[in-house]
Amino acid sequence: MIGERGQGPAVLARGLEKSYGDRVAVDRIDFEVRPGVCFGFLGPNGAGKTTTMKMIYGLAGIGGGELRVLGMDAVRERRRIKARLGVVPQETNLDGELTVRENLMVHARYFGLDPAAVERRIEELLDFTILRDRAAESIWALSGGMKRRLLVARALVNNPELIVLDEPTTGLDPQARLAVWRALERLRARGVTLLLTTHYMEEAARLCDRLLIMDHGRIVAEGEPGALVRKHVGREVLELKLGEGCDADALLASLDGRLDGYELTEDALMLYADDAEDILRVLDHERFPTDSALVRGATLEDVFLRLTGRSLDE
Amino acid sequence: MADFADQPYTGLGPRIAARDLVPSPGHAWSVWLRNARVFSKLWKGALLPQFLDPLFYLVALGFGLGTYVAKVNGIPYRDFIAPGLIASATMWSASFECTYNVYLRMNETRLYDAVLATPVEVQDIVAGDLLWSAARATVYGTVFLTIVAAFGLISSPWAILIPPLVFVGGLCFSVIGYTFTSLIPKIDLYSYFFTLGVTPMFLFSGIFFPFNQLPGWVEAVAWLMPLYHLVEITRGMANGPDGLQVLLHTAWLVAVSAALFTIPVRALRAKLVP
Repeated sequence: MIGERGQGPAVLARGLEKSYGDRVAVDRIDFEVRPGVCFGFLGPNGAGKTTTMKMIYGLAGIGGGELRVLGMDAVRERRRIKARLGVVPQETNLDGELTVRENLMVHARYFGLDPAAVERRIEELLDFTILRDRAAESIWALSGGMKRRLLVARALVNNPELIVLDEPTTGLDPQARLAVWRALERLRARGVTLLLTTHYMEEAARLCDRLLIMDHGRIVAEGEPGALVRKHVGREVLELKLGEGCDADALLASLDGRLDGYELTEDALMLYADDAEDILRVLDHERFPTDSALVRGATLEDVFLRLTGRSLDE
Repeated sequence: MADFADQPYTGLGPRIAARDLVPSPGHAWSVWLRNARVFSKLWKGALLPQFLDPLFYLVALGFGLGTYVAKVNGIPYRDFIAPGLIASATMWSASFECTYNVYLRMNETRLYDAVLATPVEVQDIVAGDLLWSAARATVYGTVFLTIVAAFGLISSPWAILIPPLVFVGGLCFSVIGYTFTSLIPKIDLYSYFFTLGVTPMFLFSGIFFPFNQLPGWVEAVAWLMPLYHLVEITRGMANGPDGLQVLLHTAWLVAVSAALFTIPVRALRAKLVP
């Protein structure tokens, strides 16, 4: 299952771009995914994550630039690339006319794998994704979480070196999400390269070795999760709910030099600093009344919101 | 019927490289097998009535109306229409498979998105679907051939060659239906395909009346319809073959199938791999 470790990147993009009509979905991005890591793409809806994934797994043409997957050219060697990929798409597209086990068998055949030869592997995958009891059932009888797990099992039938997961846990309840995470963690432990997109910072922080944040088709930040937090937010956050008549600009001016940054939303002010307790202490509470104040550690969520904006711009 | 969302119209799409047009036999076969597996699960239930459809026409028209009709071209009316109904059974099967069934797999269940994430490419899906649809149509045509033979309406041993010829006809109907499916943005448009295309073809392709006493232009128009050619083939084989004629009609069906094949491949690529 281990790919060409240490033999060049699993994915390499140089000036990669894609437009749909006038809309630029991916705007000349560069990135590199090393083999064996879990690499996460973060970004709001419409940032270009899904389009990037689709170019990697062959469901969107390459608009421009260069894309190499497992060392092969994504335009000319699509078939050979796809033979070594596993894909968990954003939308559930299981074969509704087949049972759970048949879905895996038929999918294996698309890879040219002999059903007799993959029989054992399919049984293993049913165990791996805790679907054995459901193997003979129709897809319609499965819950959302089971369908997601079956999508993961399906992505593994060809023993892929690289697995692309587009929002693998969106819409799942916490238990189902945990089950998918565990499956992904086991895969990562086996050395499979994982490439995933997500909206959930918790998911990114838990699973990913390296993250890339996209917005409006461009890459706005890249790095290890902890390093991203330290670089863009700092260590701690003081979250203030401003009281009546509190002048946010004056408040910020009064703390000049003590902050790593701030973020103002409609009803709250986030102050980023190495020691948020200290900020709370020096704040002039007479002049700047607050309804509530919370000191907490900085998270990826803060990085994400800081870099991609807090307002919904869809 | 449930509500189906309109699809963006993507049309024929840009020209594509030769490597994206030529199917890989192994991967097309995997698509064929998937369809065959689904059919094998469904035929005993939902699909069974379709086998009886041509039988009703044979009984109502051949044995009912036929009682009042003098011989056509020297043969009893039911003997005249029976081979044509083998051809139309083939047409109906292929037309349903490559319209509604393909449309749903492509646009509603998004099955093709899953298939395209494997080494299977668009041209393999199209080829596998078409060959499956032709095979399925052959099953329908052959089942009806057996029924017709049981009624004693087949007079030539050459009728044994009807199944492979019906496969060629089924392929042609499949490509035509598939081409339509690959270009339409909404499922409602099939009413045009069936009401203005398939049904008139069924009625005016020489199954129910011969052309030789009608003005020449009628047959000239019929010549444009694929069903006319398949009817000529099945009737020719059921009543003793006119080898050259059968060959010409078969060549027509092959030529049209081959000429149209690239259209759904291009249109599907534009739709599914934008």
